[in-house]
Amino acid sequence: MAQGSLDSNGDITCPTSTDGESSASHVNAGLDRLRINAADENDDDGAVQITCFSDLSDDLTLHFQIIRLHKQIYAWIGCNSAKFGHLYAAAPTRPNNMVSVTSLLGGASDNTGSGIARRIVLKTGLNVVLACNIPKDSPMLEAAAEKKLVRKLIDLGYT
Amino acid sequence: MDALSAPFPVRHRKLSLDIQGNKTDIVICSYDDHFLVIATQIGSMGTTLHARKEEGVSIHPTFSVSVIFGKRDEPVLVACARQLIEHISNCGSSRPLVLSLGLKDHSVGTLRGVVTAVIVNRLW
Repeated sequence: MAQGSLDSNGDITCPTSTDGESSASHVNAGLDRLRINAADENDDDGAVQITCFSDLSDDLTLHFQIIRLHKQIYAWIGCNSAKFGHLYAAAPTRPNNMVSVTSLLGGASDNTGSGIARRIVLKTGLNVVLACNIPKDSPMLEAAAEKKLVRKLIDLGYT
Repeated sequence: MDALSAPFPVRHRKLSLDIQGNKTDIVICSYDDHFLVIATQIGSMGTTLHARKEEGVSIHPTFSVSVIFGKRDEPVLVACARQLIEHISNCGSSRPLVLSLGLKDHSVGTLRGVVTAVIVNRLW
């Protein structure tokens, strides 16, 4: 990058570039660096879109992460921590578009996330993979998390 | 710092690149107790694998990789998970890996491309 210097009046000057394009490219390179470094909670470039948000209610913090792919949605719900939790897959299946859910990780004894996944598919018709670490036997928390997640999905354009 | 002004607890990294002629979207997420890697060329998560380091007393760790959703007869996918979990272990982390691969072709070149791209952009 060209170094500036002070002229006799004390003003900063830069040696003029003989090639007009290279100074524009310096500016553009600087702008690109800023864009690359800027942290963005709504990561929107390209085909895959990632949305992260948190919600504080009743002394509990719920964290939500939604990764949107073309034909599928991955969502993670965290209750007060960033543990991965149990993983479920749910989708409308033949016949009659009835919803099927399966547990992928975490065993079938704790069904908190599977109910949420099933109801998301019922409401939105999407193919969903859900990771959820909400503790079992908390129906109010489960309902609150599901409501917030579904509202966000509707805001993002899924109905 | 209250919960709403704290940074989001899960770090993630997203990239898009061309692997053997196919546009591939890769997302890497770091949770407290897992790493999640999604590499897709088909718009969905595809086959999902779970890879973890086994508890053991010997110097050399052993790893267990299993397909939890999708194609169970593609050794290239298992090899990909195996390479990544070993890399995670060599970098000092014992967290297991959930890997989703939605690939158009299951060639060794694609495997290499995915593994390289994930390692270069790793969060471990």
